[in-house]
Amino acid sequence: MKFATASPLLCLLFTLWMTACQTPDIQPAPEYSDDLVVEGKRLIAQAPRQDKNLWRLRVGLIALKQNQPTEARALFDAAMPAAGQILQTDASTRMAQSLFSPENVKGFHGEPYERAMGWFYRGLIYWMDGEPTNARACFRTAQLMDALAEKQQYRADWVILDYLDGFISAKLDKDGSAALQRAREHAGDTDLPDYNPAANTLVVLQTGFGPVKKSGGDVGEALVYDAGHSDVAQIRITAAGQTVTTPVFDNLTLQASTRGSRAMDLILARKANVKKVGDTIGDIGTVPGVVLVDYEETRDAGLALLGVGLVGKFIGNSVEPRADTRTWNNLPQHLSFAALQLSAGEHPVTVDFLDTTGAALPDRKKSVLLTVQAGRDTVVLVADR
Amino acid sequence: MKNVPAILITAALLGVAACTNVNSPNGPSVTELRPSERGFVAGLGIESQDLVTISDKMARGILGAEPIANAQGKPVVVLEPIDNDTRFPIDQDIFLTRIRVALTGNANGKIQFVAREHIDKLERERDLKTSGQVTGGEKVQGNEFKGADYILTGTFKAISSRGAAGASDYVLYTFQLINPNNTDIVWEGFHEIKKQGKDDVTYR
Repeated sequence: MKFATASPLLCLLFTLWMTACQTPDIQPAPEYSDDLVVEGKRLIAQAPRQDKNLWRLRVGLIALKQNQPTEARALFDAAMPAAGQILQTDASTRMAQSLFSPENVKGFHGEPYERAMGWFYRGLIYWMDGEPTNARACFRTAQLMDALAEKQQYRADWVILDYLDGFISAKLDKDGSAALQRAREHAGDTDLPDYNPAANTLVVLQTGFGPVKKSGGDVGEALVYDAGHSDVAQIRITAAGQTVTTPVFDNLTLQASTRGSRAMDLILARKANVKKVGDTIGDIGTVPGVVLVDYEETRDAGLALLGVGLVGKFIGNSVEPRADTRTWNNLPQHLSFAALQLSAGEHPVTVDFLDTTGAALPDRKKSVLLTVQAGRDTVVLVADR
Repeated sequence: MKNVPAILITAALLGVAACTNVNSPNGPSVTELRPSERGFVAGLGIESQDLVTISDKMARGILGAEPIANAQGKPVVVLEPIDNDTRFPIDQDIFLTRIRVALTGNANGKIQFVAREHIDKLERERDLKTSGQVTGGEKVQGNEFKGADYILTGTFKAISSRGAAGASDYVLYTFQLINPNNTDIVWEGFHEIKKQGKDDVTYR
């Protein structure tokens, strides 16, 4: 009897002893580098197939801001379809339309403002590479991405894209006046400078944090935007004794939020209706059904009602009407541009970001050392963050 | 008789295989196509089939042009980059290179192209020769670089639109043979292509 009581105790002690002696499973700390592009590539490799383009765009922009145009070019080229490519139906787009899958199972190509920004950055890289006509082609494609806006006044209304289109034409001894006129019409009260075709140092500027998508509607079927933020109203560039102050050309939150409804929204609305009807039938059927089942004389009707309610609940819970809220989340809020005419050689350039009172924001000041080459444009992207 | 089911199964398999379209995205993962063929990833942009069609057409047009067809000797032609005024980024040399090789292959030596795009390297080589740093300087009789009898260039212009109904791109390809001595356009050829398409509804 004593042995019978003692043996489980001994077993327990033996087990605890063995557990205590077990070598702990030491997981080596992952080796992270401080190179954001390298780490970004790791994230691209780990990302699900449908999200890889999103990560490529994010990392491509980081590479561009860190002055690694070769890396940026490869990432943007991989992320973006060719300029004339039609985004075709495939298994993932069919799934995104189905009742039982959310929209974000489709491959990421972004909303029109994100596609426009992808082409804008690709154009900058072409310009940095000394291919201004291809840069202009990209700016035109970027502008066309915005032609899907629901309301006429918001279609193809990016100021910087038309401005740079005309600027490159002017630099190539062509007529850029029509593009400049379009840019000025869309700029409203913002005063855009005349072109200086002799300018050879082109500073593209971006400030703040861009908009972020979130789901809205009753069951997440609507796509809405949290506004981005930037407290910069003007930017002052100083180089070689020249000072140029330039206004904000474009606001990405405005571009994102003026797109209007999408064709996909109708599909999501249909899914949302099915979900809501299913949930309602579930609510109406389940509780009375349970009550009626308790009484002998209403049990059959109660079971039928319960069955219908449960089917309704099942359908309601299975339908996925959620809009795709994946966001290219390192885009800026504002875009701007300045052109300088500098002699060949090295020039330190100071960029001051000014608030609405015209005061320089001290924590945003940037200094860039530019090497201006004779016979070609020097293009640089400067961000306040 | 025993072999009938096997024959039927084999025939069915062959039938299915024969029906697989290589142009289908569900077909083989890698498919070699003729450059003049439209692939399953075809879009609205400037593509290889456009390049082949247009450059062959222009080459035929140039060979039939009066100043080339009736030229005394071999006219020297210099290629100048295309002015791309469309929304499609392209390699600016690819059309002219394709026209040049089509002409070189079909012109039976009627046209002399010069490698003006490599002039920096050619000058350096000539200077090395004439300075005696490398052999061959004795063969250089002054400046032997040839001037152009004609300049071949082109312009691409486009009308592009996009909306809820889809996207459309019209591209007008024009090529000109210009006499640099008097700016006369001695030959001009064009080709126009309009394409339209529609993104999947989930991207609209």
